[in-house]
Amino acid sequence: MAGAGSIEMGKIKEAPVAPPIRRDLLEALQTGAISMAVMLIAAIFFSRIIGPLFTLGNVEETVTDVLSRLLLLVMPYVAYIAAASVARRYTYIDTARALGLAFTTTLALFSVVSAGHYVSDTGVFAPRPALQMTLVQSDAGIRVESVVAGGAADLAGIQAGDVITAIRRDPVDLQAFNRRVSQSLEGDPLRLRFIRGDEELQETVRIVLLSGKHFNALLPGLAFALAFTAIIVFLPGQWAPYIALVGLLSPLLIGYFWVIVATFSFRTEGLVPLDGNDNFGGLTLKNWESIFVGNIAGLEFNIVPIFMTSLAIAVVMTFIVLLVSSMAGYALSRMNFPGRRFFLSFTLILHGFPAITLLIPIFFVLLRLGDIPFIGELIGFNTIGGIALVMVAFQLPLGVWLMKGFFDNIPWDMERSALIDGASRWRTYWEILLPQIRPGLLALGIFAFIGGWNAYIIPATYSIGSGVSNLPVFLEELIDATAPVDWNQVAAVGLFQLIPIFIFFIFAQEYLLNIYAGGAKGTS
Amino acid sequence: MRITIDNLTKKFGDVVGVEDLTLHIDDGEFVAFLGPSGCGKTTTLLTLAGIYKPTEGQIRFGERVVNQVQPKDRNIGMVFQSYALYPHMTVFQNIAYPLKLKKVAKNIQRERVQQVANVMGIGNLLDRRPGQLSGGQQQRVALGRALVKEPDVLLFDEPLSNLDARLRLTMRGEIKHLQKDLGITSIYVTHDQVEAMTMADRIAVMNGGHLQAFDAPDELYSRPKTQFVAGFVGNPPMNFVSVEVSRSNGRFIAETDRLRLEVGGDRGGAAAGFAGAVVMGIRPEDIQISGDGDIAGEIYVVEPLGREDLIDVRVGPHSFLLLAGAETQYRAGEEVKLAFDMDKVQFFDPQTEKSILWQQ
Repeated sequence: MAGAGSIEMGKIKEAPVAPPIRRDLLEALQTGAISMAVMLIAAIFFSRIIGPLFTLGNVEETVTDVLSRLLLLVMPYVAYIAAASVARRYTYIDTARALGLAFTTTLALFSVVSAGHYVSDTGVFAPRPALQMTLVQSDAGIRVESVVAGGAADLAGIQAGDVITAIRRDPVDLQAFNRRVSQSLEGDPLRLRFIRGDEELQETVRIVLLSGKHFNALLPGLAFALAFTAIIVFLPGQWAPYIALVGLLSPLLIGYFWVIVATFSFRTEGLVPLDGNDNFGGLTLKNWESIFVGNIAGLEFNIVPIFMTSLAIAVVMTFIVLLVSSMAGYALSRMNFPGRRFFLSFTLILHGFPAITLLIPIFFVLLRLGDIPFIGELIGFNTIGGIALVMVAFQLPLGVWLMKGFFDNIPWDMERSALIDGASRWRTYWEILLPQIRPGLLALGIFAFIGGWNAYIIPATYSIGSGVSNLPVFLEELIDATAPVDWNQVAAVGLFQLIPIFIFFIFAQEYLLNIYAGGAKGTS
Repeated sequence: MRITIDNLTKKFGDVVGVEDLTLHIDDGEFVAFLGPSGCGKTTTLLTLAGIYKPTEGQIRFGERVVNQVQPKDRNIGMVFQSYALYPHMTVFQNIAYPLKLKKVAKNIQRERVQQVANVMGIGNLLDRRPGQLSGGQQQRVALGRALVKEPDVLLFDEPLSNLDARLRLTMRGEIKHLQKDLGITSIYVTHDQVEAMTMADRIAVMNGGHLQAFDAPDELYSRPKTQFVAGFVGNPPMNFVSVEVSRSNGRFIAETDRLRLEVGGDRGGAAAGFAGAVVMGIRPEDIQISGDGDIAGEIYVVEPLGREDLIDVRVGPHSFLLLAGAETQYRAGEEVKLAFDMDKVQFFDPQTEKSILWQQ
């Protein structure tokens, strides 16, 4: 026994000495209080400082209001998370202690929040719309048990024993009735149909706001807060980023999900596909079929030339952007010439320049170019070349800077080595340097291709009233030509437009990964 | 190939890379450019390679003036500190690249690459990529690539700096052996004076864009022409102390605070002829700790180097580095007597930093 005792002693010595619970509690409370205070200050900042500032400038906005309300709403939960994170340290050693600490803190923070709600008549203590009578559900209808003397119901002439059957002509049960009341605003009239004795009567009751101060309303909130805290305390740490990520991404994921579901269904309500009789189902390939048949709601078209136009614009643009950017990037990275610095800063400014402002001037330039024989047919108004060229011009500043950055990262020695090995400058660029920046070329190529493929404004502007139209322009024509717009059909065309991008990405990603795994190691 | 550099100046805008450099390198000679960072040695090398064009002066390969000749037309091979291998090519393609550019037939390419790779000991690695090789192997590939086109001139830009100490020693010997074997005129840039001393036939010491000395290693060591050369060549570095040399009773005495030493006739005479204080330099191996020494000092720190101990002795305000056998057991704080070998001291003009003993 003495031996066992000494082992016990040893264990006690080795275990980290837990700080007194009082200190942890203080720390947890402090953390919670600080995060609460920060959120509160932020909420006040938005509603009392930024909001009035906007109002001063006669700007109508609800963002600051929504923001401050949102901050107030999540404030207690942020505080619970902060406090629970202090308790989390003990989950592996002493579960009871961790949970006790978290619950105590949550309780304290909840009391503070509730006290705040009580004082300011907000939250659960906010005034609620009421009719000042007690009701029970009976077989005949909603029976009035009692009315508050001088209250809203009393003033309207409702008496105990009346059985409410409908609001106006809509029959109601107690649940629907209460929902209707809680959704009403102060002073809203409710025309009640009720039975008194054998008579059927109608009276209009006006909603009043009652600040209830019902403490039992706190209980569900408290239960929820405690459950929330418990989850935070025991949530495996590595899940947190994924939960946050999925939460933030969900609008996007839901959006894509809708697009996919919509293309295959007759009609959708939310995310649910419906058939003509509003029943679940109605899955169909009609939306896809009509793309290839070339007839959507009477609009006749041939998808092949439209697709090819999109492809031509994207490919021509990608090719020119890659060629010009890489060569300009090389020159700017490696050579010293008069005006280099100016050129660099000027392209950066150009990059920030909104392309839309040049839309009309360029329109005239293309129009004039169109008058020149041969060149006009290549890059004039209403030509794929002209559209691609304009978009290339807008892409180049970014491309040149990107390529310059990639060339900057290639050691000078590699280039010198090639020159000394007997290569010309051109050959060095082509055979030695370009392979080093393949990831950059690929990235820029993807940018350019997607930019060209999805381009709308420029193709739409510089191909007015001509046969040249790419997929985005066609999509717009489709929306214009059909009334009411068949959104499922539009979704199908949109998804059809995305297919090449998906394919492009699948291959490019594989390639990108290969390059990064194999190529980067050599440049030590 | 003889290389003649006459009055070479290279400027980058207002920044002087190298100024008024004149060097004559004989056929088959191994020359090292030695100097601290930023002294202009790499600039000179790249100018020889044709990467930079000289601002002034002339460079001749043999009788041919190459000032404006493109790098590819100079028939040179170069090895870089970073190896500068092409990461997207295999070892074979790397070594074959100069031949491919010369449009050598495919089968001859294969033969020559295999031959060079075998000499370099990388014959079995030809299918690998540079990223899959160790530093030493990469360096051999780089060397192979420089040699494969049988260049007239080989240029080395600190090729061993990125290798570990042991490998550096091996490669040092191999490069020297190879160079003597092939008889290719070679220029080797380094900031490591040991590398320069061990490998080169002659060393060009550079500092601040100027040539300080150009001589055989032994000559640089025993007859340094400037104080910079004396301090840079040799490890541990030479000790310097400012002294006044005077003549009394036919003997020459070098004297300063707490030091009074007799100097031999020739050296003393030259130093005494100089008006005012001179800088006296003495190498660590020329100072001994010995009972019958006449200078008293205190050991400041002892650094064991294995074969010997490096000892810092303070004599009044002066500090002297010296070497003692590893078997000695000196400790910091110990009082010792020092004996100076005054027949090997150097004297420098404190203003011009030029040697008083050896004029250029």
